[in-house]
Amino acid sequence: MTADDAPFVACCPDCAERTTASDPNEVVAFYRRHHAVTGHDVTWERMPSLGTNLPADPDIDAVVAALDDSPVALGAVSAAASEWGWTVGETLDAVHDRRLTGALWEPRDDHVALV
Amino acid sequence: MTRWNDGVAELNAVSPDITDETNALPAKYFTDPDVWEMEKEKVFGRYWIYAGHENCIPDAGDYFTRTVGDKQVIVARDDDGTVRAFYNVCAHRGSKMVEDTPMTDPGNMDRIQCPYHLWTYDLDGDLRSTPRSFEEASLNPDLDDSDVSGLDPDENGLLEVQTDSIGPLVFLNFADDPPHTLDEQAGRMKTRLESLPLEEYQHARRYVSEVECNWKTFGGNYSECDHCQANHQDWITGIQLDESELEVNDYHWVLHYTHEEDIEDELRIHDEHEAQFHYLWPNFTVNMYGTADGYGTYIIDPIDEGRFQLIADYYFADPDLSADEEEFIRTSRQLQEEDFELVERQYEGLTSGALGQGQLGPNEHTLHRFHRLAQEAYNA
Repeated sequence: MTADDAPFVACCPDCAERTTASDPNEVVAFYRRHHAVTGHDVTWERMPSLGTNLPADPDIDAVVAALDDSPVALGAVSAAASEWGWTVGETLDAVHDRRLTGALWEPRDDHVALV
Repeated sequence: MTRWNDGVAELNAVSPDITDETNALPAKYFTDPDVWEMEKEKVFGRYWIYAGHENCIPDAGDYFTRTVGDKQVIVARDDDGTVRAFYNVCAHRGSKMVEDTPMTDPGNMDRIQCPYHLWTYDLDGDLRSTPRSFEEASLNPDLDDSDVSGLDPDENGLLEVQTDSIGPLVFLNFADDPPHTLDEQAGRMKTRLESLPLEEYQHARRYVSEVECNWKTFGGNYSECDHCQANHQDWITGIQLDESELEVNDYHWVLHYTHEEDIEDELRIHDEHEAQFHYLWPNFTVNMYGTADGYGTYIIDPIDEGRFQLIADYYFADPDLSADEEEFIRTSRQLQEEDFELVERQYEGLTSGALGQGQLGPNEHTLHRFHRLAQEAYNA
């Protein structure tokens, strides 16, 4: 799969390392590997259209609600949240915070749902 | 005769004789997920593996984490100034303790503390303290506090991983009884590198790339330059490939590249008028440049059988790089990208399953050593 035909493309702005993926959670895995050895964050370059409107103000619960799947893949949440300019790391931090306040739960690995 | 996977050809272990037809590692060792599982123990669990550069953790309590296969260690400088490595695993119930912390963005801690139940360790790994709930039995009706014997700090410390160094380069060995010392594994490379002022150079850049091929595919590509004329045309400008030398030692090999014009001594860390690319089995290189006063290292870190991370670090006297040094790194990255194209294309061919066992040329003796070491490790 090349950058031209991959549905999901993400990049590290610091070292220009780019990844392509057919599953958005592959980008989350890439972020974790890359962050572990560089400390860098990763931004989305391409993702399929969400097909729904997000609120103007960042709200991670609204993203989870807007996406069709339940539970929804973390990578899909992150791809959607990139419309607010969020990086992968910022989205994962926000999801973590919401989980630890009881608003979100993780019925299966790297997939979240509203409580 | 080429050994295709045609049901007829017989595949063999790597012959010690490079003139034999079966002088290369069979293709399955590059593509089979079971081989990667085996390598975690037989390669990365037995040989000395590069951990990182101790200049990045100059003060007591400075640390970074390093992951090798399924294992992760904390590499930390203790209160005596010694660099030690411990499994990032609490002695209580096995929790991972500190977050992933890259060498290039190290952390600092007075003590190592597990966030789960707050067991706390000194920087030498000894158990320093546990919460009161481990010292008394107030919640257990079957025990009195006097039944609690307490935890001996020495007997309940962290599991230390052996470390050794070549100058400021720190290595790990996960084996209880390693088959070799680092001196034996590195051989002349250790002597050579320790004659150079490596510790006077500071980390300047790290670039990490994920590449879709087996780690040995890239290691093999690094180890020969038969492909350079056709594929690295910018880089070979000014290099006399026909006068270059490929030196093979037990567990390390060196590619000496002679420059056509003499370069000022100030533009090299070493004395010889050449670039020297050192490969240390299994997955570490030290790149001594011929035209830049600095050096680099590569860690060729497997993710699985079909992917690896190339962790490329660059060291210069001043981490604030000059324009020439920035341009040097740009050229180095161009060389990497050219190599990534080559090795990914090779791996795509290997994963088709057509080729059973390749053949090495007479000038691929460095690569032959690499394949023999892999075979030796698998057979051990």
